[in-house]
Order: sequence, then structure tokens, then C-alpha cells
Amino acid sequence: MTAYSERRLELGGVEIALHEAGEGEPLLFLHGAGTATGFDSLLPLAEHFRLIVPHHPGFGSSADDTAIRSVHDYERHYLDLLDVLGIASFSLVGHSMGGWIAATLAVSQGARISDLVLAAPWGLNVPEHPTVDLFSVAEAEVPGYLTADLSVFAGKVPNPPTAAFLADRYREQTSAARLLWRHTYDPSLARWLHRIQARTLLLWGELDRVLPVGQLPVWRSLLAHADELILPGVGHLLFDESTQATAAIVEHARRPVAR
Amino acid sequence: MDVLDDIQFYVMNCHHYADIPADDGRFASSWVDMPNTEFDPLRGHAMYERYTRELKLVEELGYDAIGLNEHHNTPFSLMPSPSVRAGHVIASTERIKIMVAGIPLNLSMPNRVAEEYAMLDVMSGGRMEFGFPLGTGMEYWSNAAQADPVTARARFREGLDVVLKAWTQPGPQRYEGEHYFYRYLNIWPRPYQQPRPKIYIMGGGSPETVDVAVDFDAGYSVVFTPIPVQLRAFESLREKCAARGRELAPEDIMLTAMVYVADSDEEAEREGRPYMERFFSWFHRVPPKYLTPPGYVTRANFERLTSSAALAASQESSWDDMRAIGRIAIGSPDTVASTISDWAREAGSSRVMLNMTHADMSESMTVRNLTLFANEVIPRIRARAAVAS
Repeated sequence: MTAYSERRLELGGVEIALHEAGEGEPLLFLHGAGTATGFDSLLPLAEHFRLIVPHHPGFGSSADDTAIRSVHDYERHYLDLLDVLGIASFSLVGHSMGGWIAATLAVSQGARISDLVLAAPWGLNVPEHPTVDLFSVAEAEVPGYLTADLSVFAGKVPNPPTAAFLADRYREQTSAARLLWRHTYDPSLARWLHRIQARTLLLWGELDRVLPVGQLPVWRSLLAHADELILPGVGHLLFDESTQATAAIVEHARRPVAR
Repeated sequence: MDVLDDIQFYVMNCHHYADIPADDGRFASSWVDMPNTEFDPLRGHAMYERYTRELKLVEELGYDAIGLNEHHNTPFSLMPSPSVRAGHVIASTERIKIMVAGIPLNLSMPNRVAEEYAMLDVMSGGRMEFGFPLGTGMEYWSNAAQADPVTARARFREGLDVVLKAWTQPGPQRYEGEHYFYRYLNIWPRPYQQPRPKIYIMGGGSPETVDVAVDFDAGYSVVFTPIPVQLRAFESLREKCAARGRELAPEDIMLTAMVYVADSDEEAEREGRPYMERFFSWFHRVPPKYLTPPGYVTRANFERLTSSAALAASQESSWDDMRAIGRIAIGSPDTVASTISDWAREAGSSRVMLNMTHADMSESMTVRNLTLFANEVIPRIRARAAVAS
């Protein structure tokens, strides 16, 4: 299988780490609120796309950017990145917090996005199936919320955790808190989702304990063109937990649909 | 000049909800998520009455000041609003200074803090001093999430700027900051003391809070930090002030100490130590997560702070750890006088904030502690000053 090549570039004075693999149509992957398990599980996408996995500012090996205060700052950050990379049209996949950023980007960038996948996206207020506020979950219980299969952490997360590992998580929680501390949803997102033109795959783990799959129908009802796939037996870290997740992205992008 | 020449003693009363629940091991934390069904309003009322009696005694015994502080969601403190308490204490006392130390600015609006504090200063005829804390990490879990820990330090600075401008500059003024915008900053009343009441920054010894004290011409007090870290913070403060041409006065450095006095060292330790240990094991039972909400400290400080904070919070921390973190002065009048005199000289401080009511210590024990310190320890410390000069 292909491996990532890493490069670093500067956006607005902030150094960003970018992982790329494969050739073809660009696919931009926006990760969730943590990078601990890495992104090797996405590599099957590189067989079909030019896979681009940036680390968000304040995550992984990207530098901190204190100017990021809202989802719209992330949106503009990724518009900058696309300009620097010279990418006009692309597939967009966002997971969890990255799903919220992807949805926000898709609201404003309609025609540029050839295919959109929202994987267990954060952002809607669904009172019957509320998002679990991970900041309120006891630390020891967090892994069990993140995944239905704790073996996904084996070899990726030190056990017991080292001080450096914990400090890295604290830094990523801080970066996530810039967006997620004040609310467990984006109060204005539902109002604008109708503007998304791309055909959208809603991809969800059946056993997701952070963003319950019961939120999926609400997304579907707000999107103009939505398909869905629920992965059985899978939790929130669906890319780590199931190879079906990347396969579904490929299939969705390839599927001929009258537009 | 010897710092002891002008030494003053403040008595901080944290207003613990003193009843420790039976089988307290049920609770992983006595902060943030400690169920408030454990609070009994009738007992709470009795405790306010008791603490009022203690504070009146503090004045009668000739102490220089009373200290009041703010915490939320915890039996550590019956003072989520120290201004409310201070209004009552002003009316219950005649001449003693009162230090509110204080409202974390980020949990209120800075103009409201400026006017509440000015109100207290005018009502008391200028008896007030104020300490400004960033607020413990626990306060950010316990208050509206709109008080965002990620931007807390920046807003704290700006909030303090608003308070000081509101106090000292003629109003109305327009204030446009990054976090606060006032079209008409124009507080009524203005402070009684001119140009303003004395202020302290209440820090944990971090470079960030030391810088705030330097930048705003404030005093500095360190709470819950091992003594060597306290001394480094004071030294750093002194150097940074000197670099700006400000000579730090002994009254600009406030020590905090936990004190218990008895007739002999043995008696003091036998009587007092269990209460001080329960102070740490119950009233300061805080999981590390609550001490450091996201963004409250930098990644670089996270490791250092979690270890020293865990030490402060830990039920397993040793008596020696507790003694260093709490500056515990325990023993006979001679021992306590000598300990506090040494600390004050070592830190270059002439203001000592004493905690004298420990954990679930009874009123009668507290009264004895307050009385012995006032009658036996303070004269010994003053005698040392006289001898030195």
C-alpha cells in the first residue's frame, strides 16, 4: 500500500503539516478533534484519489493558531490551503469535528465539491439523540465512548499513557475547545445546510456513543441530496474500526448519478 | 528595613461547609460535581452565623484584616459571592480592613466588579483591599461555558484593565477592547480610597500571573504552590518590577499560611494536624481534570502543573508536601512565631494571610487558635522586629 509523504507549509504565518498519498482527483480529509490513532486507516483512499490529510492548526504536528476562534476561521483556513495547493474541484470528507467543518465549507463552496462525505459529523442539535460532551466524560471512560473496539488503540496509544502523550491530548483538547467548549452543537448550522449542492454520503457507526446514529435522519432531512450508510458494530472512530468506511467513500464517489 | 517592622496579619476565612459527609469515599471530588443534595440549608445558616462570630472576634483580637474569597460548586466555600458576604461583614465590624480576593473577573462583567467593589469601599469608608484571581480551573467547569478557559488569561488581563480604568479615570469613558466593549464606562459609586484601593494578583506562581502583577502595578500573592515555587515567583516579580523602575515594597508581597497554635509543639501537632490533613484530603479533593480545563494552561505547563497540582490535591500527599504547599505553621507560640518570621523575611513580605479555621475544626478550637496567635504569636513576632532594629 502507498505511504504518506509529509510536507510542511505556512498558512497565515502558521506552519501546517500535510500528509499526502496517491494520485488522481484530490480528496481532502478533515479529521476530528484528535490525531492519536493516526491516519493510516485512510490509505486505501490513496489507491483511488490524491489523498490530502492536513493536521488542523493546534493538532498533531501542525502549529497552534490562536486566531482560530470559530468554524468559519477553519473554513477560511482551508480555503487558503486549497488556493496554495491550486485545487479548484475536490472530494471532501470530514469526520466528527472535521465533519462540521466540511459541512460548513460545503455550504459556501457548493460547486467546487464533487463529492461530500460526512462521517459522524458534529454540529446539529438533536434533543432526542444528544451529542455526548466528551469534556464532561471522566477521562478513564473516554476511550469507551470513542470506539466500540478498544483494540484500535493497540500499538497507537501508549499504555499506560506517558506524560508527553497526555500533554499532546491536552493540547488537542485545548484546540478543540476553541470551537466546542461553549456548545455541544452549532446553533446556526441547520439553517444553512440546504445550501449544500454536493451529493452527500452520511456515514455513521451503528454504535457511535459520541454522536448517536439517531442524528443521521436529521442531517438527511436537512440536506438536498443525501445517501446514507450505517456501519454495523462500529463506534465513533469508524475509520479505525472498519475498512468498510473507506470502501464506502470510494463507492460513493464512483457511483454514477444524474445531476 | 526589616519586613517585620510593618508586618500585618490578615485572617482568611474560606467559609467551608464544615460537615464532611459520612463515607466521603463515595465522592471522587468535593468540587464541581459534588452533589448539592449534601448541602443542608439549616446547617448552612448556622455556619454563616458561626463564621460571623469568628470574624467579629478577629477584629476584637486586633488583627489587621479579614480575607474573603470566591469558589463555586463546592463545600470548600459558602462564598460563591464574596461581595455579598463582604457587605455583611462591613456591617458586623467597625474598623478592620476587609480583603475580597476575590471575584474571578471572567465569571462576571468587569464593570460590575468595579462598581460592586467601589460600593463596598464607599460603604466601609475605605476599609477594602482586593485580590484578583484568574479563578481556579474548577470555576471554569462550574460556571457558564461562555467563560471560556482557552481565552481566560487574555480576558483576565483586559477585565483588570477595565476595572482599573473604571476606578481611576473620569467617566464616562469609551472602552473598546478585544473582549469587552463599553460605550459608557461610568461607574457610580467610585471608590472611597483615592486613587484606588490596594490590589493584589492572586496567582499560582506562573510567569503569566507574575506579569499581570508587574503590568498593572499590583501586589502579588501565591496560593497552593510549593514554597520554592512561591519564592521563585516573588524573585521573578522583584526582577521584572526593577526592570521597570518599580521598587517592590514588602507590602506588595502577600504570604499565605495555614496556622495552628497550641501550648506546645506536640500538642499543636496532635490537635491540629488531623484537621489540616482533612483539609487536603476532603476540602481539596480535586481530580486533575478539574484543575486544568482545556486551555487553562499551556501544553508546556500542563505536565508541571498536573504533577504539582496532583500533589496538592492528592489524598496521598505527605505531611511534608502539605507543609510546603500550604505553608503550614504549626506548634507552640515560639515555633509559629519563628516559622512565620523566617518565611516573611525569606520572601521579603510584610503581609501574611492566615488560614486559622481548618476543615471541620470546631468553633471553640478555632477561637482558641485565633486567640493564641493574637495574644502569644503576634507579640513575639513584633518583639523580633524590635530586637532586629
